[in-house]
Amino acid sequence: MTILHILLIDDEPSEHVILRRLMTKVQSFTIQLHYSDTIEAAVDVIGSGTPIAMVLVDNRLPPHGDFRETVPLIRQKGFIGPVGVISGSLDDAYFQSFQEYGVDFRLDKAELDPTAIEFLLQEYLVKS
Amino acid sequence: MGALLDTYRRYDFQKDLEKALNRVDFFRVFHMLALGAGFDHFGVLQLGQEAEPALLSTRLVLHDLPSGLTEEYDRRYRFSDCLLLKSLHASTVPSVWSAASEDAAPSKAGTDFLAQIGFDLVACVPVHSIVGTRYVVLYFGDNDDIDRTSHVELCYNSITAFDYFYRFVLATRVGMGLTARETEILRWISHGKTASEIALIVSVSEHTINSHTATILKKLDVVNRTQMVAKAIREQIIQ
Repeated sequence: MTILHILLIDDEPSEHVILRRLMTKVQSFTIQLHYSDTIEAAVDVIGSGTPIAMVLVDNRLPPHGDFRETVPLIRQKGFIGPVGVISGSLDDAYFQSFQEYGVDFRLDKAELDPTAIEFLLQEYLVKS
Repeated sequence: MGALLDTYRRYDFQKDLEKALNRVDFFRVFHMLALGAGFDHFGVLQLGQEAEPALLSTRLVLHDLPSGLTEEYDRRYRFSDCLLLKSLHASTVPSVWSAASEDAAPSKAGTDFLAQIGFDLVACVPVHSIVGTRYVVLYFGDNDDIDRTSHVELCYNSITAFDYFYRFVLATRVGMGLTARETEILRWISHGKTASEIALIVSVSEHTINSHTATILKKLDVVNRTQMVAKAIREQIIQ
């Protein structure tokens, strides 16, 4: 089975632990989860040649603001795979413009479960 | 003279529906409905014509079933022969099918599908689009049953969610105007750029470019990129 490399960017290391645990429950894909706690470190991972298939980025990554500042930095590095923003709340109005900033999808952290992850992989990495 | 009641919406996820923009957003809505009613998965099925051959994998326009399950189903069974599908063509009454009832009454039509797909309970909510095409929202689980109140609520919510899903995702039609982003992508296609090159230029994913390209094909009623560019020039959408 092909290994899918997913990059999580989150300043909270516990999110990495939770997501890594969730990824082990995904049955249809073999996933290798990479982790960066800053956008700068993530850009280095993307530039290193690791075949990252999908990026999940926390909405707020200090010292930057929200995804409107961080995701363009990922795109400027030449990453053309799917980028999803994960957040504890999607209520802020600016989330409605996520597509304008190179974001493919948004997900509440509480909605991240094995079914959601399988759906995203199927939708963005298998069907396309 | 009557007026629409302010409280006519008898559901609690209005904000989620108003904000939903793409397939993932609607996955989130239907997934939430499934979990809320005690089911594990959902599928939105285009019913089509009864006489047409039907593959489960192609009739499901959105679903969160485990990867490869529908393709495996199609390799083993003929969905067109499925009694549950026939019952959906015969009636628009919402229904619930249980694998347990197959033992009690093996003659009951529809339970064959449950054994084949590997779930104990399937709830079917027939819905239709604003132009009358028929769909069914299916919920799959291993629970024993769904109580009457939850079932009624699930039906109402499914009809509502499907209406938004159809209007905002499925209803791209011939003759609809192109958005500014679609026109921009069309222009780059006319310059001979590939999807990955355009993704780099406009700073989005390749998936987004492919998705926009599919929408442009649909709106211009053409079948390939060459025909797309030719028609766009002819219609003076691009120079």
